[in-house]
Amino acid sequence: MKRRKFLGAGAAMVASISMIPSQLFAAWCEKCFSQSTIDNAFINTLGTRDFASTDKVTIVAPQAASDSSLVTVEIISSIKAESLYLFVEKNISPLVFQCNLHGSAEPYISLNVKLKESSLVHAVLKEGNRYYRASVHVNVLAQAC
Amino acid sequence: MRVLAKELNGIVLLKIIIEHPSESGTRKDEQGNVIPAHFIREGRVTLNGAPLFDLELGPSVSRDPFFQLKFAGKKGDQIKLEFTDSKFQEFTAECAVT
Repeated sequence: MKRRKFLGAGAAMVASISMIPSQLFAAWCEKCFSQSTIDNAFINTLGTRDFASTDKVTIVAPQAASDSSLVTVEIISSIKAESLYLFVEKNISPLVFQCNLHGSAEPYISLNVKLKESSLVHAVLKEGNRYYRASVHVNVLAQAC
Repeated sequence: MRVLAKELNGIVLLKIIIEHPSESGTRKDEQGNVIPAHFIREGRVTLNGAPLFDLELGPSVSRDPFFQLKFAGKKGDQIKLEFTDSKFQEFTAECAVT
């Protein structure tokens, strides 16, 4: 009986230890980064897929990429932003990142990303309850990833 | 992890490089076995203790991620960075704006 109790207590402890990481990192949105279509990625991340294109947000990426595992994408905006998002339409997990901006942060991000194949790349900017989008098409010349 | 923060006309350009394999979890090795996912998932940047950027990242970020971010700041401002990957490994750095 004693041994059983001990084992039971041990199991409970292991269970509580394994809970810790998921609690600490509960902020990471598993659903947003799941393998899905671009439409589902928009809905999972932003709750909508209806947003107008705008010239206030600029997305800079090479028209043709010889190394699809390293494509530098830059988001520049002339309007204030609460959050910035980057999506690669044809990737298995389309959402690349979401970034919340606070204080004196400027609406600017540059990051190198992987492309599975030639694809549209979408930058989405959130301000208030409004979303703005800018898109660019990147041609992949050689498959690297 | 390497960090550089340079101020010009009141705007600081922050450059961050993290040496990381960034495995997406969908790639296969020569034997056809799936290489397990291992990528940076979260990042936090603070300026003089106040939050500046909160990042959530997916498996589409390149190997050895290279970030460039901008904010309004001045020389001597203190920046703190914390990144965590999908294996709960932590990457931290501190630097002053120059």
